[in-house]
Amino acid sequence: MEEKISKLESPLKINRRHFFSQLSTGIGSLALGSLLIPDLLSGGAPKAMPNQPLGIPHFAPKAKRIIYLFQAGAPSHIETFDPKPTLIKRMGEDLPDSVRNGQRLTGMSSEQAKFPLMPSAVKYKQYGKSGAWVSDYFPHIGKVADEICFVKSMHTDAINHDPAITFFQTGTQQSGRPSMGSWMSYGLGNENKNLPNFVVLTSKGKGISQGLYSKLWSSGFLDSKHQGVLMRSSKDAVLYLNDPDGLSRSDKRHLLDHVSSLNKIHHVETGDNEIESRIAQYEMAYRMQMSVPDVMDIKKEPQHIIDLYGEDSQVPGTFAANALQARRLAEQGVRFIQLYHQGWDQHANLPNDMAGQAKDVDQASAALIMDLKQRGMLEDTLVVWGGEFGRTNYVQGESFDPKNFGRDHHPRAFSIWMAGGGIKPGISYGQTDEFGYNVVKDPVHVHDFHATIMHAMGLNHEQLTFKDQGRRFRLTDVAGNVINDILT
Amino acid sequence: MEQLYKKRWIGYLVFGLSVFLLFCLCFESYIKPPVLVSWLGRWHPLILHFPIVLLVVAVFTSFTQKKVAALLLITATLTALITAISGFLLGLDESQKGDLLFWHQWLGAGVALFAALWYWLETLNYGQHIGTKTLQIILIFLVAITGHYGGSITHGENFLDMPKDKSYAKIPDNPLIYEHIVDRILEQNCVSCHNPNKQKGELVVTSLKDLIKGGENGSSIHAGNPDKSVLLNRLYLPKEDKEHMPPEGKKQLSTTEIEIIKEWISLGASDTLRLNDLKTNQPLAKLVTKMMSPNQLEKWSVLPIVQDSTIQRLESDYVTIRRVFGNTNALSINMYTPPTYNPDLILRLNAIRNNIIELDLSGLPIEAKEIEFVASCTNLESLEIDKTAITDHEIEALNTLTKLKSLKVSETEIGDKSTAVLSNFKNLKNLFIYETNISQNGIDQLQGNNPELRIISGISEELRAAFIQTDSIKKEQ
Repeated sequence: MEEKISKLESPLKINRRHFFSQLSTGIGSLALGSLLIPDLLSGGAPKAMPNQPLGIPHFAPKAKRIIYLFQAGAPSHIETFDPKPTLIKRMGEDLPDSVRNGQRLTGMSSEQAKFPLMPSAVKYKQYGKSGAWVSDYFPHIGKVADEICFVKSMHTDAINHDPAITFFQTGTQQSGRPSMGSWMSYGLGNENKNLPNFVVLTSKGKGISQGLYSKLWSSGFLDSKHQGVLMRSSKDAVLYLNDPDGLSRSDKRHLLDHVSSLNKIHHVETGDNEIESRIAQYEMAYRMQMSVPDVMDIKKEPQHIIDLYGEDSQVPGTFAANALQARRLAEQGVRFIQLYHQGWDQHANLPNDMAGQAKDVDQASAALIMDLKQRGMLEDTLVVWGGEFGRTNYVQGESFDPKNFGRDHHPRAFSIWMAGGGIKPGISYGQTDEFGYNVVKDPVHVHDFHATIMHAMGLNHEQLTFKDQGRRFRLTDVAGNVINDILT
Repeated sequence: MEQLYKKRWIGYLVFGLSVFLLFCLCFESYIKPPVLVSWLGRWHPLILHFPIVLLVVAVFTSFTQKKVAALLLITATLTALITAISGFLLGLDESQKGDLLFWHQWLGAGVALFAALWYWLETLNYGQHIGTKTLQIILIFLVAITGHYGGSITHGENFLDMPKDKSYAKIPDNPLIYEHIVDRILEQNCVSCHNPNKQKGELVVTSLKDLIKGGENGSSIHAGNPDKSVLLNRLYLPKEDKEHMPPEGKKQLSTTEIEIIKEWISLGASDTLRLNDLKTNQPLAKLVTKMMSPNQLEKWSVLPIVQDSTIQRLESDYVTIRRVFGNTNALSINMYTPPTYNPDLILRLNAIRNNIIELDLSGLPIEAKEIEFVASCTNLESLEIDKTAITDHEIEALNTLTKLKSLKVSETEIGDKSTAVLSNFKNLKNLFIYETNISQNGIDQLQGNNPELRIISGISEELRAAFIQTDSIKKEQ
């Protein structure tokens, strides 16, 4: 299933290969045809190939939208959802080489002489009927543990932030491919035509932050209408969306109609698809002028909802406010709502920084689940929470102080969680070894994660393709297995 | 050409092979060929194609040209003999021969020996004799029947049946767990290789007796003990494992199907157990009920056809209509509040009302007219009319929606009066009544009438209070 370009519309849409393949079959069949049917050359245009429908799920979807609470910087799995008592027993001992097993190190700890094991900076408790272990940094998430599926066996290929987050968002470590949200938009189409399909909200904690670039929500080679729209927390949620003073809405309508007719002329001349996209985007922006201020106005929320998300939810630009915003966007049918919370890069000062980061997100993340549930939206909204990789079970640097230490990047094992639309609630999937270093049971690669999420959305990750530069691309590239065990 | 018939060694070869074949057939039970020889039997499926074609061509030329080329007849005869012998060797692998294999073997031997006889008659110049001609015609029939039996062994006996609907007879209301459920699962997934005629691994799964008897690796099912049941072990093995069943490339069993077999075995693998003998909350009862409920695709296949152009015509900026998936005629409709609301937006959907499976009218200022339209969409399975001005009166109007599985009426003014109507939705699985006037009493009543119904009425006060009070670890300022 991909957009087949009708070669009849415009010369721009024909590439060299089309040209030659058409030329040879064309001349051959023309010769044959004219022998058999003498009046063949007198007219009749060939028909376009019937397309597989695009913008419709391949099978009945369990989830209709996704809220992805991305914890940028990579929270330590050892201090979140994967307790390791062995680390307490063997605290300070060197990580055995047999466990590290040749794992490459980052430039930050490659010079390190020893790798002393450090247990979790925080205690764990078991929660709910499922008995899920959650660290004391996240008491609220613990309270909704029975709605959650913890995946403790994630692993990735990348060891540094930018490639790792790019990998999570686009399925490849190099920049330039479409983001997950763009693929969903391409594959599933709009639910609400007055809002973008793919919205991005960012917030920042006090911890060490790494950059977030708009390439993470870019549509790559897909049509630019699938690109993520960053909504800001300040007065203008979307930049340049508001009309200048003195321009009435009907004037604006006239303006757009004229611009559109000019653009259409240009489109007929050149056949450039991006012109169509641009027309559509002007129209979308026009409708967004009405819809965005309404959906972004979290002041309308009643007090009991504000209490649920915590007082931060009234402070624009916080994670809590974004989480509440995410629910409002989900209600309005936005397909993919991507939140980023920065500041999880605890190379040092982990106990203190992580407590702060956790406080930023704990209550609001859990509140989002409860809020979606009470509104009956958790059935078809998939919530994902996690970072781009895990952190080492040993301390980074030469000093060893349980009160103030840091952990380096660790790609071989980490934890994320998912809840809602099509995901089994109240389970833990996968297992790491007693050191929390390697996955020992049911590994889930980033490609598998993508394949599984697409499956929940009713898409077959092997069928949703787009042809660019001579080859067909997928979000999962040439890999990925659906993890059926976590799907309902 | 004809001097080929004079070559003595060819005659000896044909004679020798024929005698060898007869010897094999007579002393089958005493023969234990060395590994290499029995491996030669594996070439049977390749070689067999030669005698079929060559014999048919030979008979054809003998009738059309009065004479058959010696080389053709010799090759046909020799390959027929080699095929029969290799087939015999292959057959030795099977410890128990079903009827099909039995007949295939003897008919195949018949083909080879008849061909040898024909060759002999031809060398004696009886080629045009009426007896030889009769023999040729019999030979053609033998080739056809042998080939058919052989094909049935490899591809299954019903391979040549007219392609038919794979839908099996409807499962009765109170099915026998073995006969109507387990046996059907086995029939759909296992029988093609484990039937009396093709007993792979010496296992036959067509009767409970055979299942208990098992195959090479012992009893397939161990009543009351799923862990010891080889059948389940094979199903549970990872797909990459060579021992996993069904083998790679074949359709795999669904989790539900495997669970059903497991639960049935742990309950004693009885063939008299019926669904009604089980308590409704027993896992097996739930699984079987799940399997028996008609699948959505089937249900939706009877919906009227709706064209893409119709969808496009009815869509607007505030009305999104899409197929639930692929090319199905089941439609999902989402509406959003336009700047100026007009009931026609909804009412014009009348043309496709029978196709609407999901309808989301959340937050729209709908009134009696729209509710009347909704009530006419009798195929609706999911309806969202939360945040609207509906009351108990409107809910009552919706009692035509018997297929409803999910109903969202949160944040409306409906009250306990609606519980009676809501209880009447027999298929309802999810009911969302967050922030309505339905009292706890009403909820209890609903739950009492339909224990399976999931009612979401908001967060419990306890959890809410605990949730809001809990503080994450203090942030250091």
